[in-house]
Amino acid sequence: MPKRTDIQRILLIGSGPIVIGQAAEFDYSGTQGAKALKEEGYEVVLVNSNPATIMTDPEIADKTYIEPLITPVIEKIIEKERPDALLPTLGGQTALNLAVDLYEKGILDKYNVKMIGASYEAIKKAEDRELFKEAMERIGLLMPKSAVVRSMAEAFEVIDWIGFPVIIRPSFTLGGTGGSIAYNQDEFHTKVKAGLEASPIHEVLLEESVIGWKEFEMEVMRDKNDNCVIVCSIENLDPMGIHTGDSITVAPAMTLTDREYQILRNYSIAVLREIGIETGGSNVQFAQNPEDGTFYVIEMNPRVSRSSALASKATGFPIAKIAAKLAVGYTLDELSNDITKETPASFEPTIDYIVTKIPRFDFAKFPETDSTLTTMMKSVGEVMAIGRTFKESIQKAVRSLELGRYGLYIGLEKYDEETIREKIIKPNADRLWYIAEGFRRGWSVDEIHSLSHIDRWFLNEIKEIVDFEQKLSDKTLGTISDEELEIAKQMGFSDKELARLLKTTEDKIRERRIKSSFKVVDTCAAEFEAYTPYYYSSYESLSGRLSEDGSITYFRDSEN
Amino acid sequence: MEKGKVIILGSGPNRIGQGIEFDYACVHCVWALREEGYKAIMVNCNPETVSTDYDTSDKLFFEPIVLEHVLNIIEAEEPIGVVVQFGGQTPLKLAVPLQNYGVNILGTSPESIDIAEDRERFRELVIKLRLKQPESGIARSKEEAVIIAERIGYPILVRPSYVLGGRAMRLVHDTGELLEYVEEAVYVSEDKPLLIDRFIEDAIELDVDAVADGEDVLVGAIMEHIEEVGVHSGDSATCIPPYTLKDEIMENIKEQTRKLAIALGVKGLMNVQFAVKNDEIYIIEVNPRASRTVPFVSKSIGYPLAKIASKIIVGRKLKEIVPKIFELKEKHPSSDFLPKDFNRFSIKEVVFPWNRFPEVDPLLGPEMKSTGEVMGVDEDFGLAFWKAQAGAGSILPESGNIFISVADKDKPFIVEPAKNLQKLGFKIYATKGTYKFLKEHGIQAELVSKLSEERPNIVDRIRNGEIHIIINTPSGRRERSDAYFIRRAAVEHKIPYFTTIRGAKAAVEAIKSFKEKGISVKALQDS
Repeated sequence: MPKRTDIQRILLIGSGPIVIGQAAEFDYSGTQGAKALKEEGYEVVLVNSNPATIMTDPEIADKTYIEPLITPVIEKIIEKERPDALLPTLGGQTALNLAVDLYEKGILDKYNVKMIGASYEAIKKAEDRELFKEAMERIGLLMPKSAVVRSMAEAFEVIDWIGFPVIIRPSFTLGGTGGSIAYNQDEFHTKVKAGLEASPIHEVLLEESVIGWKEFEMEVMRDKNDNCVIVCSIENLDPMGIHTGDSITVAPAMTLTDREYQILRNYSIAVLREIGIETGGSNVQFAQNPEDGTFYVIEMNPRVSRSSALASKATGFPIAKIAAKLAVGYTLDELSNDITKETPASFEPTIDYIVTKIPRFDFAKFPETDSTLTTMMKSVGEVMAIGRTFKESIQKAVRSLELGRYGLYIGLEKYDEETIREKIIKPNADRLWYIAEGFRRGWSVDEIHSLSHIDRWFLNEIKEIVDFEQKLSDKTLGTISDEELEIAKQMGFSDKELARLLKTTEDKIRERRIKSSFKVVDTCAAEFEAYTPYYYSSYESLSGRLSEDGSITYFRDSEN
Repeated sequence: MEKGKVIILGSGPNRIGQGIEFDYACVHCVWALREEGYKAIMVNCNPETVSTDYDTSDKLFFEPIVLEHVLNIIEAEEPIGVVVQFGGQTPLKLAVPLQNYGVNILGTSPESIDIAEDRERFRELVIKLRLKQPESGIARSKEEAVIIAERIGYPILVRPSYVLGGRAMRLVHDTGELLEYVEEAVYVSEDKPLLIDRFIEDAIELDVDAVADGEDVLVGAIMEHIEEVGVHSGDSATCIPPYTLKDEIMENIKEQTRKLAIALGVKGLMNVQFAVKNDEIYIIEVNPRASRTVPFVSKSIGYPLAKIASKIIVGRKLKEIVPKIFELKEKHPSSDFLPKDFNRFSIKEVVFPWNRFPEVDPLLGPEMKSTGEVMGVDEDFGLAFWKAQAGAGSILPESGNIFISVADKDKPFIVEPAKNLQKLGFKIYATKGTYKFLKEHGIQAELVSKLSEERPNIVDRIRNGEIHIIINTPSGRRERSDAYFIRRAAVEHKIPYFTTIRGAKAAVEAIKSFKEKGISVKALQDS
């Protein structure tokens, strides 16, 4: 089916100023969306209050408004520009909230503006806790048990079927302040009481705790013919209890069995269908009980999100661009993949590398604040790194952070055991390095697992990095073999870290070590030719090519 | 025609002080170089950006921006040069190490960057150019700090030399505070000296962004900060063009900017910060690279400065890139790009993460804490400010109750805004000191009790929704006083609050304009 011809002018709402939780990823998605719509011949009217964005450059849209993102101002723009449609799914929660408000105030109706990308009903269903819960019940998916209570008596009524530990979240407090966990009746009494007092409307949400469970995200796209693709699965290294934005995350998911992955695939598609996301991308979050494998649905975002920006960069699949095109009537099989030019967008990306994202924090600016990581996001930025292995990927991500850290060693040997233990139990910005320090002290994977609830697979990988680090520190540049140096590079050790371990300088390591090779991010694991020059480095081992005379020439497989 | 490859180093992870503005500048650099026929190669590791969209550059390397990886890419690609001036501190830190490896750094030389960043060398330059800087000194011990402070005179701005971006910077009013600072907050020693600057109280702070090609210098815009000196330039609301400055002062600032750009051999962008008090102009800081105000200036004046600067970097001249500017007969005193009769105000306002950090005092200071920015545009200054506030999430009320509590030194300056507010129909609430002062000046206010007095006190009233706007200037030393609880309550209840007199005055004008004219919208393409 071709694109819609009943609309010509489309209003796009940006996400406003950069705040914690809503950053430059929406400039990326909005810019892509505007470009995609213009490419299709639509006129784009864009509004965003943030001048530091590319999307507000005068060439990106046909009409650009740098105006405050408030309903009366958007109404003025609609009145003036008379768009036929509003695409609210590329500007984060800000754009979505405005779209809902414009709809509820009858402004969209008044000026005959259609909402595309997500319907009002779908947005409501995804965002309203009760409606979402009912929807998930209808399709037989589990969610953490929860109830909203307004008195102690009500609280004691529901605790029997929710069970302990229970999370207490006061409604409408700033940034989730006053939230807590109760493990027993006594604590429950005092904490619910405090929560009710903290809430301006005297209301708390009681929720079954899934803290410590494994956390996964699925990036899904769906078109109007009900074709669905999973763009990417993402696994949070940090278990439930830490906001995804503050978690170290890895793509694709590392610790799911194929069977489990297929279950999540089916679940996430079922969620999109039930919520009614007809055209576009969504992010569905799941928690998994590590004991028995049960999956809970945590939430879904009926829009492009921070995770979809990550998934796009991780796979090369441009979610925002495709979402914009699906919104105007295309189907996934009609759109081609820019990278291969050969495969359609209905072709699910396959990746043959590992992507790691690590958040960047700025607690030094706010010394008075509690730097424990919780369900309220506190990070101000993030980095992503690509490697052939998890070890290489995470070590590259570490040095991308620009914290002056080039490996998993930051001099924590001065702390006593108790401190290290506490820093592994209580999530914080430096937990990864404390875990490494734990391994350096000979703690076992099981021991650190029981403290952190991080999956043993990840812990084992970290342990292997630390073990190798210790092996290296017994050597010098003079005694280390070429093979060992090559293994170190493949494991992602930086020249700087190697210089420290081998007691030499970064320059000398550089002179001695093998050269890096460059690989392409191609969405298809090299099955098709890639036309997009998007690269990452690695130290893949040598490949051999058989010559006509029977001899083998070795070369390092580089694709740039 | 193949002109060769150029590598552009990005800005890495977003953080406070280095945000999306630098990604904006990098993307413009990529576009400009492609326009000029070069192969633009982008290196960055931040997935949240437009620069890492594979559509943006000719080649994208998703890699850490550290020496090892950048050198690997250079070895593989053999570019004609590397651009380091658009990505903030991240690539700038690599300029000298890369040069040591024989890499060609395009644009302003690392040597010039060093002159601008090294206090001693920069001071020599300022003296040579016969310009003026606030007095300063470097202390290598506690005792030396006290001697220097007394020579310069309080108040002073102090900060350790080894941290960047205003971290641990403090405004110090007397010897007691100075000693407290060096004893508790920082460590002063021979190799970790303390930097001391005279603080020019109640001065107006200005930012200037300019482009230069070694011969010509064009000032993009002079920006006037709404908040006084002492608030980090990244945290201050900013107005283009300046709204309280005399024309001859602006012309003089343009001239000083030109002198600095030529002396430093700037090829590309440059940012200068000035302070003006009693018509005296002081240079605070020079950065010969893209600043965070580049996108704001570009959008205000309608010329993409980062793109222009990128073309200069590869050898083009301003006269070729923007010939029309050189034909402009009557220029605006604040910008070389604008005609004399330009009459539109663009105001930048910032947003803070106070709601994420409930323990933090939401007060502006010399350390940057904002995460993002918005812009308000209108022909009327008040409306531009209204829009900037609204964009930042603070809707100014049209009527209602205002709470005023100001420091003694600010009291004389609150009379006029208070009178105007009363005319606009606001009812004024004030605590004892301010109440008394206002009454003496013929302004009727309602007395409201402090936290230590009988309830309902001011915080109760804020929490009950009885107060709709707050003017509360801090009285010097930071402490957990009434003011702290008032500010926190304001943040929690999303009540517009102003902690400087200049901010309060702008707010009063905004309310007045909004009530008289209402808001209208205009597309960039229509102006």
